[in-house]
Amino acid sequence: MMPNPEMTPPVNNNKKRNVKEWFQHKWANDPLFSILIALIIMVILQTLTLGFDYDSIGQWFQAWTNNWINILRNNAGVGIVALGMTFVIMTGGIDLSVGSTLVITGAFAMYLLDTGASGILGEIGITGTPAIFLTILLVLAFGYLLGALIGVSITKGLVPPFIATLGAMMIFRSVTQHFTQGYNTTVPTEFLQIASFKLGNLMIMPIIYWAVIAAILYYVSKRTTFGRQIIAVGSNERAARLSGVNVNKVKLRVYALMGLLVSIAAIIQVSRIGSMDFSNAGRGMEMDAIAAAVVGGTHMLGGRGFVLGTVYGMLIIAVMNNLLNLFGVPPFLREAFKGFIVIVAVLLQRKSESS
Amino acid sequence: MKVEMQNIRKSFGSNDVLKDVSFSIQGGEICALLGENGAGKSTLMNILGGVIQKDSGSILIDGKRIGFEKPADSIDAGIAFIHQELNLVNDLPIYENMFLGRELKTKRGSLDLQEMYRKTAEIFERMNVDLDPRKMVRDLDASYKQIVEICRAMMTNSSIIIMDEPTTSLTDAEVSRVFTMMKTMQDHQVGIIFISHKLNEVMQICDRYLVLRDGLLVSEGNVSGVTTKDLASYMVGFDVRTESLRREKDPDDIGEEVLRVEGLTDEEHFRDINFTVHAGEIIGVTGLLGDGRSELFQAIFGADTYRTGKLYLYGNEIKIANTYQAIKAGIAYLPRNRKENAILKDMTIFENASISTWSMFSRRGIINTRKHRDVFEQQRNTLRLKMGELTDSIMSLSGGNQQKVVLSKWLATNPRVLILDNPTQGVDVGAKEDIYDIIIKLAEENIAIIVLSSEAQEIIRVCDRALVMYHGVIQGEVSGNDMDEQTIMRLATGGEPELKRSEQQI
Repeated sequence: MMPNPEMTPPVNNNKKRNVKEWFQHKWANDPLFSILIALIIMVILQTLTLGFDYDSIGQWFQAWTNNWINILRNNAGVGIVALGMTFVIMTGGIDLSVGSTLVITGAFAMYLLDTGASGILGEIGITGTPAIFLTILLVLAFGYLLGALIGVSITKGLVPPFIATLGAMMIFRSVTQHFTQGYNTTVPTEFLQIASFKLGNLMIMPIIYWAVIAAILYYVSKRTTFGRQIIAVGSNERAARLSGVNVNKVKLRVYALMGLLVSIAAIIQVSRIGSMDFSNAGRGMEMDAIAAAVVGGTHMLGGRGFVLGTVYGMLIIAVMNNLLNLFGVPPFLREAFKGFIVIVAVLLQRKSESS
Repeated sequence: MKVEMQNIRKSFGSNDVLKDVSFSIQGGEICALLGENGAGKSTLMNILGGVIQKDSGSILIDGKRIGFEKPADSIDAGIAFIHQELNLVNDLPIYENMFLGRELKTKRGSLDLQEMYRKTAEIFERMNVDLDPRKMVRDLDASYKQIVEICRAMMTNSSIIIMDEPTTSLTDAEVSRVFTMMKTMQDHQVGIIFISHKLNEVMQICDRYLVLRDGLLVSEGNVSGVTTKDLASYMVGFDVRTESLRREKDPDDIGEEVLRVEGLTDEEHFRDINFTVHAGEIIGVTGLLGDGRSELFQAIFGADTYRTGKLYLYGNEIKIANTYQAIKAGIAYLPRNRKENAILKDMTIFENASISTWSMFSRRGIINTRKHRDVFEQQRNTLRLKMGELTDSIMSLSGGNQQKVVLSKWLATNPRVLILDNPTQGVDVGAKEDIYDIIIKLAEENIAIIVLSSEAQEIIRVCDRALVMYHGVIQGEVSGNDMDEQTIMRLATGGEPELKRSEQQI
């Protein structure tokens, strides 16, 4: 075939323009692009702050990696919860109860497993690995059930999500604190392996859980009936109902999924630390999760949200915390920066949408 | 006081809504303003109320030319506009509502509740209204809310009051209460412009009538000289019938019964509804605002509930608890008000076209994109859909093409009964004809089709027969030569059905 001269314009010039055009196209059409850019800038800033030592590049890399593993592992729990929160917000709802669900499911896990006198499973003669697996199963089921209960009150009881989950937040925490008074538990060391099992000398299990869950939920949001119905419900609930979507079922499943994800976070936290501070654990978790979702491009009114965006959002907040730490910003001021970032992120998104 | 509107013209874009309309009204007169939807009634009244600006013409009050630039100008001139959606705050007592936006204050700047209460009680007494001003507006029925609005207008010394379909949502007892109030105002030398679709009420309460059609004042005069039948024919005009799309059909050649409805009632919107639709038939359901037809068919579709009554599909009784069950049973419902009820603005064209079949085509919850694409590509041609990429936003399409996407979503469900609620709403002329063609074609494929429309013309052009609803009941059925605009309008305004010619012969 004869090569068409028009098909081969000057390569150099074109390439340059292509990059620019690609960038502009991406900026205008891919809502996650600006978030990713923001994240990259933050990471570069953080890397520069850590200092770059040419003489011992191996050691520098080691320190950099360790720092990152720390960041990711510390945020895996909230990161997983934020993914569920994204789904909840996408339907036009909210879940304020996640922090309290975390402690009640955590407490439940410890009650089941306690190596002391009152471990329920131990008393009925289940020990060792079966006990661990049974605990995981029961805790996940418990979290799912609590979420489903909240979902029922929202769908059948017509309680607004804000109120239903605010109530649940108070109830779960208070009940947990009452029943764990003076209770000192220790969990079996096998259980600790869930989070602290070392892969190639690295303690990265929580990060792997986070990544796997993110991948699954990404697929769910893009390719399954459930995932797309979530967006339809949040976008126009009435139209979704009139299109044959069982709106109540979708909402119920979203809150149940939220409960399930929180119970996973609870297992990770208990197995990482070996215990849980029932009066303080998970406090403010709902706000961190909402912040990550919002920074990641989720609309508070529903209809729009991105699993990947929430991962980016979580990382942006995490890296910023790390940076503030490195800069030596006093701890009490750090929340202010977080708040600032959330507002700026939404401001920028609104700007790019209207332009 | 006398208000004159002279040579009023108004157009929106290329659409001439008012073409040289003149009329006048005096204090102490109740004047009906009649016309079909889109005749220009609301535009004319919005101009008088200062809500929108006229393009040309003048408004004279007692012979003096006055410029109306904002609603406040109109109120200052003594004209009150009581909108169909009342401007009352449910959570405040009556006397505070009476002073909404013009609250009385004490010297220290706090609300002077006592004075507001006293003045309200005073006006209620003057207007013979037996109502406690301290009652919350929430606890009032629709007629008393109307009355509160009227009293509020009286308090600003209005001499002309525009009432936009005040009786649409009222029961008969409530209507007579409002009419008593109107008579009292008439005694106080207040002029009333009464917009209504209910011709019987017009005959009962009004002195004069004005009829608008296509932006022109086509008829005016004293109510005593005309009948409701005359008014209905003025409203629709005689020359409106356009080419009918109805198929010549042998009346004996009807398909099998598909949907039968028996005694369906929800008390609030519709009562004792009975009808049958056959395969390949196009039936129309029409009526005026508040006739309950949308609520009826949403209930049949499982989006709303009904109290009593039965549904039969192909002779078997079915129970439908939600919309998904309806779709699975083969019932499809294209809703009215596309933007609120059908469009998922955050989603793509493709997703908007496939949402109703996601569950149906999926295996283990995973969306079968390929199958959706095959189905959609096929319909894209039959529907003559003009669009860019499948993944473009639904908002990138024109109204007509959006409607076609919604229609394609329903065709994908392979319905046996297709209910179309105002299918050509907000659709341009070309797409409108396309949609009519599609309806005819689908009927030929033996789908039972029900077209809900407020446009009598649309029903006459497309449907084989039509049910006319009035206040939640089927007032009558028309077909063949009986299916004309006058008959439909008479039934829709509550007139009794005449005996059909065929029945008279028997």
